Amino acid sequence: MTTSREMVSSEYKFGFHDEVDYLEETKAGLTRETVEAISRFKDEPQWMLDFRLRAYEHFLSRPMPMWGGDLMQIDLSKIVYYRKPSQGEEKSWDDVPDKIKKTFERLGIPEAERKFLAGVGAQYDSEVVYHSVREELSKIGVVFMGTDQGLKEYPELFKKYFATVVPPEDNKFAALNSAVWSGGSFVYVPKGVEVPLPLQAYFRINAENTGQFERTLIIVDEGAKVHYIEGCTAPIYTTDALHAAVVEVIALPHSKVRYTTIQNWSNDVYNLVTKRAHAHAHSTVEWIDANTGSKLTMKYPSIYLRGEGATAEVISVAVAGKGQHQDTGAKAIHLAPNTRSRIISKSISKDGGRTTYRGQLKVVPGATGVVASVRCDALLLDEGSRSDTYPYIDIQEDDTTMTHEATVGKISQDQVFYLMSRGLTENEATNLVVQGFLEVFTKELPMEYAIEFNRLVKLEMEGSLG
Amino acid sequence: MTAAEGAEGAVASQLATGQPAPRPMAPARQAPTDLTLTFVDEATVRKVAAAAADPDWLLADRLAGLRGFEALPIESNRLYTPYVDLRNAHLSAARPYPAGGTADARGGAAPGKAKLPEGAAAYAEFVEDRLAALVLSPEARDAGVALETLASLGARDPELLRSLLEGGCTLPENDKLGQMTRALWTHGLFVRVPDGVRLELPIVLRWAMGAPNGALLSRTIISIGDDAQASIVEEQVGSASTANASGATGEAATEPQAFFAGTTEVKLGAGSTLSFAGLQDFAANQIAFQHRSAVVGRGSSLRWALAQLGCRVIRSRIDNTLEGDGSSVEQAEIVFGSTDQLFDLTSYTRHIGRDTTGNLLSKGALSDRSRVYMKGLATIDLSAHGTDSYLGEFAMLLSKQARSVAIPSLEIDQPDCRRVAHASSVGPVDETQLFYLESRGLDPDEARKLIILGYLEPVVARVPLASAQDRLRDLLEAKWAARTGAAHPSAGQATAAVA
Repeated sequence: MTTSREMVSSEYKFGFHDEVDYLEETKAGLTRETVEAISRFKDEPQWMLDFRLRAYEHFLSRPMPMWGGDLMQIDLSKIVYYRKPSQGEEKSWDDVPDKIKKTFERLGIPEAERKFLAGVGAQYDSEVVYHSVREELSKIGVVFMGTDQGLKEYPELFKKYFATVVPPEDNKFAALNSAVWSGGSFVYVPKGVEVPLPLQAYFRINAENTGQFERTLIIVDEGAKVHYIEGCTAPIYTTDALHAAVVEVIALPHSKVRYTTIQNWSNDVYNLVTKRAHAHAHSTVEWIDANTGSKLTMKYPSIYLRGEGATAEVISVAVAGKGQHQDTGAKAIHLAPNTRSRIISKSISKDGGRTTYRGQLKVVPGATGVVASVRCDALLLDEGSRSDTYPYIDIQEDDTTMTHEATVGKISQDQVFYLMSRGLTENEATNLVVQGFLEVFTKELPMEYAIEFNRLVKLEMEGSLG
Repeated sequence: MTAAEGAEGAVASQLATGQPAPRPMAPARQAPTDLTLTFVDEATVRKVAAAAADPDWLLADRLAGLRGFEALPIESNRLYTPYVDLRNAHLSAARPYPAGGTADARGGAAPGKAKLPEGAAAYAEFVEDRLAALVLSPEARDAGVALETLASLGARDPELLRSLLEGGCTLPENDKLGQMTRALWTHGLFVRVPDGVRLELPIVLRWAMGAPNGALLSRTIISIGDDAQASIVEEQVGSASTANASGATGEAATEPQAFFAGTTEVKLGAGSTLSFAGLQDFAANQIAFQHRSAVVGRGSSLRWALAQLGCRVIRSRIDNTLEGDGSSVEQAEIVFGSTDQLFDLTSYTRHIGRDTTGNLLSKGALSDRSRVYMKGLATIDLSAHGTDSYLGEFAMLLSKQARSVAIPSLEIDQPDCRRVAHASSVGPVDETQLFYLESRGLDPDEARKLIILGYLEPVVARVPLASAQDRLRDLLEAKWAARTGAAHPSAGQATAAVA
């Protein structure tokens, strides 16, 4: 394999940019008035305004986190915190404005929907503009809508769970999101209901300097089961955009939730996301999380195992190329007996990119019979790239079985040589080895996604190989 | 959001509904990062320098250390800031021993008349601030081996002392406590093994500390020449002045504490070998900060075998710098904790040369309310082609209240490595092994003891002096017998009531 080499410049696949008339938007920068204006635009109840203001105050008082990626380049005063593309929620595809529709068509959403989607919530900038849930799902009581709409239509359920998993005081960017959140998905799966197909939402950042602050709340009632898929693409801009989302998942007893993310923001986006789940007794929560895009991602999907017998699994993939820093990882906090967690992390650094695994595994006193494992593997493809591993393992209960392993290496030349001897080019051989390295992740994806993801990795790899 | 933010820990414990917080509260309101020492200031530094008749460069070096101390936070590595806890250190009454160089001249028998321990090549002992022994075997002396105090080195060869100390030697620049020792050291030893000398027998260094409110700051400078070979055994124990002779016994919560800050600063020339065994068994009222740093030259190898048994709070930092091509470090450290001891252990290994090897292993057995923080970071520089780096951090929890934190970290800039890996595990005593031993007629307590001592044995076996090995085994057994939970061997298996 050759060493570092200029990335073959290729136009960002989804880098088109539509001109949309924005009906309502706040002025750039964040003030108390911005927060009040957002709440007013949305005609929200008083408690939500109070919540936003409390979060705003906390955001101001909280220092910028210094322990992770470089956040000094973000100019919070230049960001537009709220922008509304069109009035109201769209029930049918036909009603979606043409320009927005065209964007989604180029991303292939309608096709995907026709094929196998159970429902689509597509986020265009700050508001959910399109939304459909298959009739049969509505009949069995599954709620899948924009978070703003969820607040209006299910006020009690919403208030009961909102911000219980990620309070605004959790971290600076959770506070920011809590102050200015807009859009995101609200999902409720009633007792015993198994959603047969994945629920999907597409998120896109459009318009220069738009911060996107979606807020997703997923409540899965007792014995219910759901798979939620989130995929992101964004157009390329010259200045930096900020994406600070909060995702809260509540898995009630005996339920099962899987949350799959394929993050492919363009390489100028700061992606600072707090994702956390509460796993109640005998529930299962799985985060399947891939990060290939963005300039800097700081994201550590977490599971608080609160009920006896709960299970957590995180499979996380990060690919960092030129100018990128993927500071990702996972957290499992064991708060109850006989809980299990498994964390698998795979990362690839190339062309001067940097990956950081930052994880936490914690077992509190009294959480007996915990079985936990963490495995981190990193590939460093060339000089000038960097890989860091920072696992925090804090065990306060003697009846715990915890194992952790990590390795860092380069692509095995033996494997590449073998494949080349079978007639593959070096590029193909290397590609195959990388795909094999990531297979633990890819095999968890629905087929269409797996194909797309492999294509994406191949595209990424082309830049680094002769 | 952060793995490191302490706030999350608080949330986590809140969420553990119905769990009484078992951890004892500190008597006064003292933040975990509060350092209660009251004598670290410029006046004291100048007093120390004046009493020792320091040359100007040394005073300047001390003042540079003081500036570092003042500028730095207690933990300068952001990775580890949540895991600092000095709340059990109450040192406001501690006063440094009067400087005056070495106090060689004080005390009864001349240190040079002390008896050389059997099987040792040289021997130095400090009892509190008094140099109690300083002897070399005739063979070692003839071979040109040096063992002397830094004061006597300064008198004999001031330029050599200067070349060894100026600029902080190998003490980490970003370490507040290391810089404190640089500013205020009053005692010190110099060990030199000249080029080509292969010393078969170990050099024994012994520190007996623990007088209430005493504070001793010392530096040990070790220079191993090209193609030389040596082994050193460092024993740190309680002195007769302490009420409790061993960290294994008693809570010592009310007794005035003693303070010790000591360095081991090693330089290994090309093709040399050093085995260093450190046995820390200070008394239960001792608070200690250790700094061990080594720069390893081309083709040289360094072996650390470290046992941490004593102290109320021990904070230790090791810096291995694998500078020379083909250099290697093998580091094995064991911890046996009881009562409310805290072992705060950090180890940095930096690979710079080509084909260097780092093999680091930490193992802890923790009873009662004892805690260990095992913080390890291996850094592989862009220049370090062909690195082999392994870091293992393992703990066995022997009681419900014990706690183990492992943070085995890696920072890698060079992909062309032979191996880069780390591993960690935490668990109770293996039930299958227990069952096997019990089926052979051992009672459960005896069986558990065997398993734990076996688990720690790899480090014991690496101590290069038979008598020190035996002593370490005895200490581990004594510690096992003395742990608070000893009366209830089955306590560890009791099912906790959890809401």
